[in-house]
Amino acid sequence: MYTLKFQNVTKRYGKEVVVDDLTFTVQPGRVTGFLGPNGAGKSTAMKILLDLAKADHGRASIGGTRYREMHDPARTVGVVLEPNAFHPGRTGRNHLRVLADGAGIAPGRIAEMLEAVGLGHAADRHVGGYSLGMRQRLGLAAALLGDPPVLVLDEPGNGLDPQGIRWLRDLLRERSAAGGTVFVSSHLLAEVEHLADEIVVLSHGQLVTTGTLAALQQAGTSVRTEAPAALAQLLKVAGATVHTGTEGELVVRGIGIAEIGDRACAAGIALHELSPQAGSLEELFLGWTSSDSTLAVNTDMNVATEPERQAVPL
Amino acid sequence: MTTMLRLVRGEIRKLTTTKLPWGFLAVLVVIAGLDAAVVAFATDMDGSKAFVATAADQQSLMAFAFNAMIGTSLFGAIAVAREYGHRTVVPMFLTSPNRVKAALAQLIAVLIGGAVLAFIGQALVVTGIALALPSTHHGFLVSAPDLARVFGATTFAGAIGAALGAGLGALIRNIGGAVTTAVLLLFVIPPLAAQLFSDAGSWIPTSLLAVISGVSPDVSVWAALLAAAAWAIVPAAAGLVAVHRRDVV
Repeated sequence: MYTLKFQNVTKRYGKEVVVDDLTFTVQPGRVTGFLGPNGAGKSTAMKILLDLAKADHGRASIGGTRYREMHDPARTVGVVLEPNAFHPGRTGRNHLRVLADGAGIAPGRIAEMLEAVGLGHAADRHVGGYSLGMRQRLGLAAALLGDPPVLVLDEPGNGLDPQGIRWLRDLLRERSAAGGTVFVSSHLLAEVEHLADEIVVLSHGQLVTTGTLAALQQAGTSVRTEAPAALAQLLKVAGATVHTGTEGELVVRGIGIAEIGDRACAAGIALHELSPQAGSLEELFLGWTSSDSTLAVNTDMNVATEPERQAVPL
Repeated sequence: MTTMLRLVRGEIRKLTTTKLPWGFLAVLVVIAGLDAAVVAFATDMDGSKAFVATAADQQSLMAFAFNAMIGTSLFGAIAVAREYGHRTVVPMFLTSPNRVKAALAQLIAVLIGGAVLAFIGQALVVTGIALALPSTHHGFLVSAPDLARVFGATTFAGAIGAALGAGLGALIRNIGGAVTTAVLLLFVIPPLAAQLFSDAGSWIPTSLLAVISGVSPDVSVWAALLAAAAWAIVPAAAGLVAVHRRDVV
């Protein structure tokens, strides 16, 4: 069982802070989605975990060990990181042969993995002639070559057709059910919603929230009032994120349902509805990653409320 | 199999599964053909074939070491710099997170590739000249020990050229930049240095490889071997340091 740990990881390129004091844990036996807008620092964080980039501060480890100290990394961690990390003039089979040679993996595993990802028919074609989806499948074959218990995948669904997405989802579910650690970044929020047990959200290099998806989706409150603007202002000052819902109600995240009621009462604002609300991942994501809400979430949302496993918006 | 042997094997597989070595082999065939054509059709100013009349002349004509060093420096530079261009360094360093070990394995594989290419190039040149000599009424005069020395010098030059190129490839990480720097380092800077400092002329690659090939007595063979190796060791070591210190991507 391998737990992935980021402890106060910071990375700068020149004066730009790309990853800012990042601390979170990815548990085994779960699929953890890694979300964030473009440039949020997800790929850099993964590169630091895999020792392809050095952190300026902090430590990232896999099962308590830094990647560079692993004795047999290819059999421990499967990685999809760069979508085009192939020589276009090399065949798919030879790409895997190079990796198998370097890692000391039996050659029989190559044909097995090519068939598993549906590339058996194209194994002896040059990678330069592959479609994006085929390259993605080859990357997955490479990641699975050593049958590793940990998978670190950056946008693995890019370019895959619906059958491929389904296959990938089943594979990751199967791996996590067997006790594997699956850490996967994706822009396909609907796919993550189907797949992930937990999510980690970054924005501007900072951790915005982490926790079980189910808990986070329940963390909002639907409020109806005759004075929505006044209430929204009041709650924002208290550190909440407030959006207007599809039916004109206020959707409040960041402070608990009781506190909303207490603050409204103290301000003399009558409430017509005050109820827990489940949001879609897309709605939540947009709320978390807009600049204002990030600030609000970072300053005040430190307390989790769900009993299953604590959702910890930071 | 030890980790290093596995890594070298993987790196050799990398080199042999693209068209890069075949392209260099094609160039070597062309060079050998040109050498053969020179022997068959060229003459001295007086219309004679005096330039192949003696064993020393023939050995000098066959000595391919500096050409081999130039060629394999380009081979090494392309082989390593393209890894960064194609991002294949990512799986390379994921397979072996000990970067110095992985880069050393790559250097060894490229060095072996350079030596093999140079040896084959030398064999093609010797064969071409040997096939062309009967048309000149001169026999093949180079003795077996001298021929062995020419082959040894060229193979050595191919190895150090490839190591030099690999070091530049790891430092510069861009094919165009690495190739240009290799050409500058071997073609442009040494003659300039020789003009600026009279003693430097004995220590530039052309002079050193001529000594090693047995066609010039400028300095001792051992000194020439060490100095020629230094031309590769310095950039190769700089490349290893860069690989260790810099982020991969």
